[in-house]
Amino acid sequence: MSSNTASSSGGSGDSSAARKNSKRPKYSKFTQQELPACKPILTPGWVISTFLIVSVIFIPLGVISLFASQDVVEIVDRYDNDCIPAPARTNKVAFIQGDAPKACNRTLTVTKRMKQPIYVYYQLDNFYQNHRRYVKSRSDSQLRSPKFENQISACKPEDDAGGQPIVPCGLIAWSLFNDTYTLSRNNTPLAVNKKGIAWKSDKEHKFGNKVFPKNFQKGNLTGGATLNPDIPLSEQEDLIVWMRTAALPTFRKLYGKIETDLENGDTIQVTLQNNYNTYSFSGKKKLVLSTTSWLGGKNDFLGIAYLTVGGICFFLALAFTIMYLVKPRRLGDPSYLSWNRNPGGGR
Amino acid sequence: MEPISSRWSNVSSKDNNNKEVTFSDLGSKRIRHGSAGADSEFLSMSQKEIKDEDARLIYINDPDRTNEAFDFTGNSIKTAKYSVFTFLPRNLFEQFHRVAYVYFLVIAVLNQLPQLAVFGRGASIMPLAFVLLVSAIKDAYEDFRRHRSDRVENNRLALVFEDNDFREKQWKYIRVGEVIKVVSNQTLPCDMVLLATSDPTGVVYVQTTNLDGESNLKTRYAKQETLQKATDLETFDGFIKCEKPNRNIYGFQANMEIDGRRLSLGPSNIILRGCELKNTEWALGVVVYAGSETKAMLNNSGAPSKRSRLETRMNLEIILLSLFLIALCTTAAATAAVWLRTHRDDLDTILFYRRKDYSVRPEGKNHNYYGWGWEIFFTFFMAVIVYQIMIPISLYISMELVRIGQAYFMTRDDLMYDESSNSSFQCRALNINEDLGQIKYLFSDKTGTLTDNKMEFQCACIGGVDYSDREPPESEQAGYSVEVDGIILKPKMRVRVDPVLLQLTRNGSKATEEAKRANEFFLSLAACNTIVPIVTNTSDPNVKLVDYQGESPDEQALVYAAAAYGFLLIERTSGHIVINVRGEMQRFDVLGLHEFDSDRKRMSVILGCPDMSVKLFVKGADSSMFGVMDEVSYGDVIEATKKQLHAYSSDGLRTLVVGMRKLNDSEFEQWRSSFEAASTALIGRAGLLRKVAGNIETKLRIVGATAIEDKLQRGVPEAIESLRIAGIKVWVLTGDKQETAISIGFSSRLLTRNMRQIVINSNSLDSCRRSLEEANASVASDDDESVALIIDGTSLIYVLDNDLEDVLFQLACKSSAVLCCRVAPFQKAGIVALVKNRTSDMTLAIGDGANDVSMIQMADVGVGISGQEGRQAVMASDFAMGQFRFLVPLLLVHGHWNYQRMGYMILYNFYRNAVFVLILFWYVLFTCYTLTTAITEWSSVLYSVVYTSFPTIVIGILDKNLGRRILLRHPQLYGVGQRAEGYSTTLFWYMMFDTVWQSAVIFFIPLFAYWGSTIDTSSLGDLWTIAAVVVVNLHLAMDVIRWNWIAHAAIWGSIVAACICVIVIDVIPTLPGYWAIFQVAKTWMFWFCLLAIVVTSLLPRFAIKFLVEYYRPSDVRIAREVEKLGTFRESQTMGTEMNQIQDPPRR
Repeated sequence: MSSNTASSSGGSGDSSAARKNSKRPKYSKFTQQELPACKPILTPGWVISTFLIVSVIFIPLGVISLFASQDVVEIVDRYDNDCIPAPARTNKVAFIQGDAPKACNRTLTVTKRMKQPIYVYYQLDNFYQNHRRYVKSRSDSQLRSPKFENQISACKPEDDAGGQPIVPCGLIAWSLFNDTYTLSRNNTPLAVNKKGIAWKSDKEHKFGNKVFPKNFQKGNLTGGATLNPDIPLSEQEDLIVWMRTAALPTFRKLYGKIETDLENGDTIQVTLQNNYNTYSFSGKKKLVLSTTSWLGGKNDFLGIAYLTVGGICFFLALAFTIMYLVKPRRLGDPSYLSWNRNPGGGR
Repeated sequence: MEPISSRWSNVSSKDNNNKEVTFSDLGSKRIRHGSAGADSEFLSMSQKEIKDEDARLIYINDPDRTNEAFDFTGNSIKTAKYSVFTFLPRNLFEQFHRVAYVYFLVIAVLNQLPQLAVFGRGASIMPLAFVLLVSAIKDAYEDFRRHRSDRVENNRLALVFEDNDFREKQWKYIRVGEVIKVVSNQTLPCDMVLLATSDPTGVVYVQTTNLDGESNLKTRYAKQETLQKATDLETFDGFIKCEKPNRNIYGFQANMEIDGRRLSLGPSNIILRGCELKNTEWALGVVVYAGSETKAMLNNSGAPSKRSRLETRMNLEIILLSLFLIALCTTAAATAAVWLRTHRDDLDTILFYRRKDYSVRPEGKNHNYYGWGWEIFFTFFMAVIVYQIMIPISLYISMELVRIGQAYFMTRDDLMYDESSNSSFQCRALNINEDLGQIKYLFSDKTGTLTDNKMEFQCACIGGVDYSDREPPESEQAGYSVEVDGIILKPKMRVRVDPVLLQLTRNGSKATEEAKRANEFFLSLAACNTIVPIVTNTSDPNVKLVDYQGESPDEQALVYAAAAYGFLLIERTSGHIVINVRGEMQRFDVLGLHEFDSDRKRMSVILGCPDMSVKLFVKGADSSMFGVMDEVSYGDVIEATKKQLHAYSSDGLRTLVVGMRKLNDSEFEQWRSSFEAASTALIGRAGLLRKVAGNIETKLRIVGATAIEDKLQRGVPEAIESLRIAGIKVWVLTGDKQETAISIGFSSRLLTRNMRQIVINSNSLDSCRRSLEEANASVASDDDESVALIIDGTSLIYVLDNDLEDVLFQLACKSSAVLCCRVAPFQKAGIVALVKNRTSDMTLAIGDGANDVSMIQMADVGVGISGQEGRQAVMASDFAMGQFRFLVPLLLVHGHWNYQRMGYMILYNFYRNAVFVLILFWYVLFTCYTLTTAITEWSSVLYSVVYTSFPTIVIGILDKNLGRRILLRHPQLYGVGQRAEGYSTTLFWYMMFDTVWQSAVIFFIPLFAYWGSTIDTSSLGDLWTIAAVVVVNLHLAMDVIRWNWIAHAAIWGSIVAACICVIVIDVIPTLPGYWAIFQVAKTWMFWFCLLAIVVTSLLPRFAIKFLVEYYRPSDVRIAREVEKLGTFRESQTMGTEMNQIQDPPRR
């Protein structure tokens, strides 16, 4: 009965038994790699219409982006140089570190009507909030909960003062921006609302409402602003804004919001305390009053980029159409195959 | 012959150095036996003992004494690699053999230094840990299965002789020296030397399927001397001295001493672990090798490992990328140095630097600052860590996964399933799939590869008279049968018979000279072989079938032929054979048997006939037989036979010549003494036996010649034609005669009538050189003519390993077909090496037999046919399949696809990682040249693992640039791989330019759009991450050719997965980027940037891709258009003849 050993004899085996233990792979479209598929190829029609569609979308988008940017009214005032008295300008660092009075008055003129809300920003140039040493120097768990106030290992050299942990620790908090602005319009004080300038998510989840500043700015070197130890971190919005480190070396931070419209021709007096030391690395300080559009601040780049790309696509669509008309190639013509072009290669 | 053997040993040793191969030692050993040059060496050694230090002593039935001195391995086996305790260290050790992992590890370790810590601990170790974990789980699972099968195996029961009785004992407790009883259909638990069997002559039949896959029965013998003694095992006293364990499953040397007599033992006296006992009631044996020392276990190593050409090519680009990486790191370090230098006086007070720590002492202490030089150094290494994925580690893992997927589809291919042998395609080597797409030279064996190796006896030439009536008379269709003791015996296979010849044999008693010769002829065929007849029952209890099992299909065909003419071989033992001659049982004593070897090319038996005469029957290849014939007495018959043989081989038939001689007593005695001396010799026995055989095989009387048809496999001519059109040079290497080879060449369309044949047939170095050079010159003069080169083995002796190799190579390059006939197995490898060493083109060897093993291992890609001749070729191969014609779908379809997919995948992986690294790099220019990353460290880690890897793997497995039909219809499309169009350094550079552009667009559009705004690091990082993922995936989407649902799911799915990951990372409140993605995605700016990035970055690629495809179309592109638009036209002409390959019956 050893019929299954008779492989070499070629005799007629029992066919039904053979089928039962057949190793024939199960046929399916998947295993035969024959799944239904769409096989797009780049035909001139497709390519030209793609370019046309892109240009049709991009050019209008570019135009509305530019309009949005043009709509934004922005007043920028660089004050870091002017706010140092002329005699002290030879050694600005010494002045800023010294005890001399730092108050400074600036006058801004509104050249175009600004609708509320008007955002007050400070802008720093050449300040690397993304420096590796700097961004790492914080303790997120300490900010959330008093339980973790001893998690300060990442914060050196601003980790503790006399053995007591600093809350909030680290270079970022330590260097908190401390110039202050007081605005008045036509000699009436102009209210700057400093509430709601930080992300809601940060206030609610990232900065604890039971965490209070401790031992802050008690070290030998003061970096920036001090914090009121009686207000929990979740309410210290300036800190929260500052701790959202900027991505780029030129950045703005929200200082507050003006909730009245400013009319064309209004003059705004700013009394500012010039405390913050950007002089040691020649950083610039600017005060910015700006409205926003749906697209953000005043920046023409995106509009120009959209117009350019849309224009190029239009040009390409045109060029390809002309090329197609002048020198078409019949698609799928086997005579283009290499072995048909120079016979003798194949058979 | 001297030069061959020495040359072979060179070749083989070279071979062994190059790669570790399971059968290499086996192959070379066999061939060394086959060469005459080794004789002298063996002679001098023959009388020596096995040296004591090289031997192991086994006291029969005395395991205690046996194991006392040596403590041999027990029989428990352990194929599992690990135990619970060793798993972790050993598995890790093995995994770190991959250089890629070591690189990973070094980076992770660097990152642990506090000064260099770029990523957090978790993020830096995660990718490596993930990869290690996945591999470890896979290994652990496999090992668990091995443990389980080991346990089952070790706990099987065997009958062991203990305390005067056979008792069941678990396999794992069996010890060397014990005597075991194995019954029919049982598997052998260890290697044992036979002592006795149920057969009085001591024969056992074993099936070695588990060992070498051959399903036919093999005979093994117990020594006559032990047969009697084994009945009383208690008093059995003796010992065996045998060689140390080795993995040669075809060799065994030992001697046994019982009662002071020495017996020699050979491979026919040992049965190996894993064999199954068949057709024998029981067998007794003494354990000589147990457990891990058994030959089966020693042979248990995996498939050979080869590296694909593409992977080797890729190393150049990896080096380029490394240089690129070093350049980036140097730039970062140098610019950082410049910044530190220019600000060196302000570092203490710069708010975002703060070098000094004043809390320790008032004047301050440097915090995390080790001086200018160190900072540069640290920056450099931090850059290496940040940019590590520039070297795409994940690529190696992706490649492995893709190859597994490709292998899955190749094995599942319906087109490559062989119905007749019930075998589907096998992928044995997993890392050279893509090499299948670049084959330029194909070396094929003939027998069993191009042909079916199902031999059919066609005609005979007896005494110089041809009997070859091919028209079978209807009356004889019933086939021959004979009645013995009321039972009808029938041969299992029918053979067409020649009526004249049949008539002659029937009149045997009336003894005309012709009839006598015919009887003698068929008696020789029935007797002179090593076939084992097996009588099997049929449904009809009165009818039994005689099945002939043997290692050589030629012999089977001849024995079946003899049976059809009334010479039915019924029984074979080691001592005698029984042949039923037209109803009359005749018993012949087998006095001696000289087995076939490839050197003598013949075999012989010495039979004691019923009439008490002693006769020698010899059967062999004509070239070797005519030399040992008695030409003086039978010159005219020999001439007539030679003429007839020529006619046969011109028809493509395989021929054998049969001769015989009556031995007188003195001759026989002389032979017997030398035969015994030779067969008890311990060393060099094979050589000695060959010499004995050579001495007796002389002065033969020619009996006749046979012609056997070796049928071409289905679809071979069409397959060869397709491969030729595909630009693959087909070389056929065969052991057959020139005439046979040429006729097969024509029928397989390797040769065509309009080819000029150049035949090189030389007997000396000089004539060989002359004819080669002449041929070369003649081909050079007219180049339009297609030429076929035919060269024989004798000429090849002078060509191989000689400066003539170059001449032959040049000549072969100009020929459209090359046919090598009469080649020895080692020459096959030599020819492959000749081509392989002279060109960078890929070679593929395909064969089915043990003689093709060396060639299969030598070639870049080895394909084994799982056919009739056992499985050695399959064991040595990288791919195994059932039929030659499957090469066409394998190369033209799967090879083409695999090559395209893998080439694209490598380039794409370089690109996607480089894009990401460059985005990181651009940012460094805006962070004071410190290695801050806006993209979170988790996204950096997940980018190449989760965000972008899945689509490339799916595309690498599934995408098809062209359909199966069109690839088969236009074999020329295979040229894409041969010309290496799918992957080249040029493509790499294009890709890199594109990479720089895309990364710049992704980085700078948001940079300018957000310059001077309130954007924070995390939000911008999220934008960059998502932009990169979308662009990289759309880039892939642009190149996908077949959009099936899996491709859709992979590409869109991985974009979605990336977004989900980014969101998940941003809802963890302890990370700085908490909620950033929601804040930034609220703004229109975000979406405007994303749209601008995607369109702008892919714009140039899109335009250029279109221009190239439209105005400089590649063949693949045209074929795609043809496929899509259905503009077949002129291609219809050859469609009809290719039908057999393209449209096999689908169920």
